[in-house]
Amino acid sequence: MKLTKKQYLYRGIFLILTGLTILLYMFIYNVDIKEHSKSFFYMDTYINVKIYSNNTRKVNEAMLEVDKIYEKYHKLTNRYDSYPNITNIYYINNNLGMNEKIKIEKELYNIIDYAIDAYYESNGLFNIALGNAIDVWRSYRIQGHGVPTYSELSNIGSLSIDDIILHDDYMIEIDSNVKIDLGAISKGYTTEIVGNYLESVGLDKYIINAGGSVKVGNHYDNEKYKIGIKDPQKGGNEIFKVVNGNNISVVTSGSYERYYEYNNEVYHHIIDPKTLYPPRNFLAVTVISKDSKMADILSTVVFLMPFDEGKEYIDSLINVEAIWYKNNGQIHYSEGFNIYE
Amino acid sequence: MNKSDIKLILGLIILVILVSALMFIINIATVNGTKKALVYYDNDLILSIDLDDSEFREYKVSGYNGDVILNASNGKVRVVEEISPLHICSYQGWIDSPHEIIICLPNRIVVKIEEQKEKIDTIVR
Repeated sequence: MKLTKKQYLYRGIFLILTGLTILLYMFIYNVDIKEHSKSFFYMDTYINVKIYSNNTRKVNEAMLEVDKIYEKYHKLTNRYDSYPNITNIYYINNNLGMNEKIKIEKELYNIIDYAIDAYYESNGLFNIALGNAIDVWRSYRIQGHGVPTYSELSNIGSLSIDDIILHDDYMIEIDSNVKIDLGAISKGYTTEIVGNYLESVGLDKYIINAGGSVKVGNHYDNEKYKIGIKDPQKGGNEIFKVVNGNNISVVTSGSYERYYEYNNEVYHHIIDPKTLYPPRNFLAVTVISKDSKMADILSTVVFLMPFDEGKEYIDSLINVEAIWYKNNGQIHYSEGFNIYE
Repeated sequence: MNKSDIKLILGLIILVILVSALMFIINIATVNGTKKALVYYDNDLILSIDLDDSEFREYKVSGYNGDVILNASNGKVRVVEEISPLHICSYQGWIDSPHEIIICLPNRIVVKIEEQKEKIDTIVR
């Protein structure tokens, strides 16, 4: 069949149009990176993960893996529930006999190991061995009535980190009735793992919001993420400060989240290991660092320190900044904070 | 070129237009700021009115000479009643942009509009 001139022309137009269509389509898809958002409920918190990518299939696979990571750490660090075939904190606290050794999963072993190091680095301010005292406070908080005495808190059982012994080959031994509580580390630790996982599969543009701890990767639009810090004196989504940055973790320890009031005094959930009472210096302390497990620990530690001591400590650390929101409403920033303005 | 070629070309063109339109709409929808009217008495903030919702509302604040009544609606704000010799700020009518300002000098009341274009990505609680 011989084509006429007109037919050649039409074929030409057809091919050009098709080509343009494909180009335009690719252009639109590359410019407009899509936001993929998914929420999970683990560790008593709604966790929202946003990934910016044009590869939906890859994102969906990654979201499944993120769900698995949070679920795994949720189960391992949980001290209120047991699960079949999992040696978790509940099991270690309640079922492990005195001086009995047991092999635990590498992931759980590593968190406990990291937390014990943090105990020594913070001169005992960060202590995962306070479970017994935390339980007493918890029962008072649920009742919403009365205040435990010091002897009630200190006599209930061991609060000594030395009673948690890690052996080689992922073995753990407990030397008393000490109760491990990983509440102050599990969210930040797992969020760090999840962020590193996303980066390892090439999804480096993300926002992970696990309530008090947020981790962000690269920005989807060559800008900086704007991370609002909730105003502890106001309700809802009111913020008092915006932190601008990429590849950072922002973690807040606040006395406004879990607390009860008795005789016009507020008793919140962060316990000072020295006094066994919740301190009253701050409504909130926010720490910004690259690593979210470190930020999680530091926000607790600095929350427990007097302001001057905490500021000196934060200023001595490289790439760590903080915001103190005092009980009287005064707000203070660390020396190098202005890089996030 | 036969009928099915034309159909294919038309189909592709429509698809491109639809996709572009959708992207355009999504882009517009994500640009959302918060707009507020701030009412000051002697430089002290005494009232902050959310102008993002379209409902008509009335507010009352205390000026130097007595009550000052304000209306807010659909991103705009105005003073409708106040005690003063010339009623300049009531006559001014609606204002709706950060460039405008209502000053009720006898009542020491200033009404400003603040628009926050900044979009917050996430909030640490």
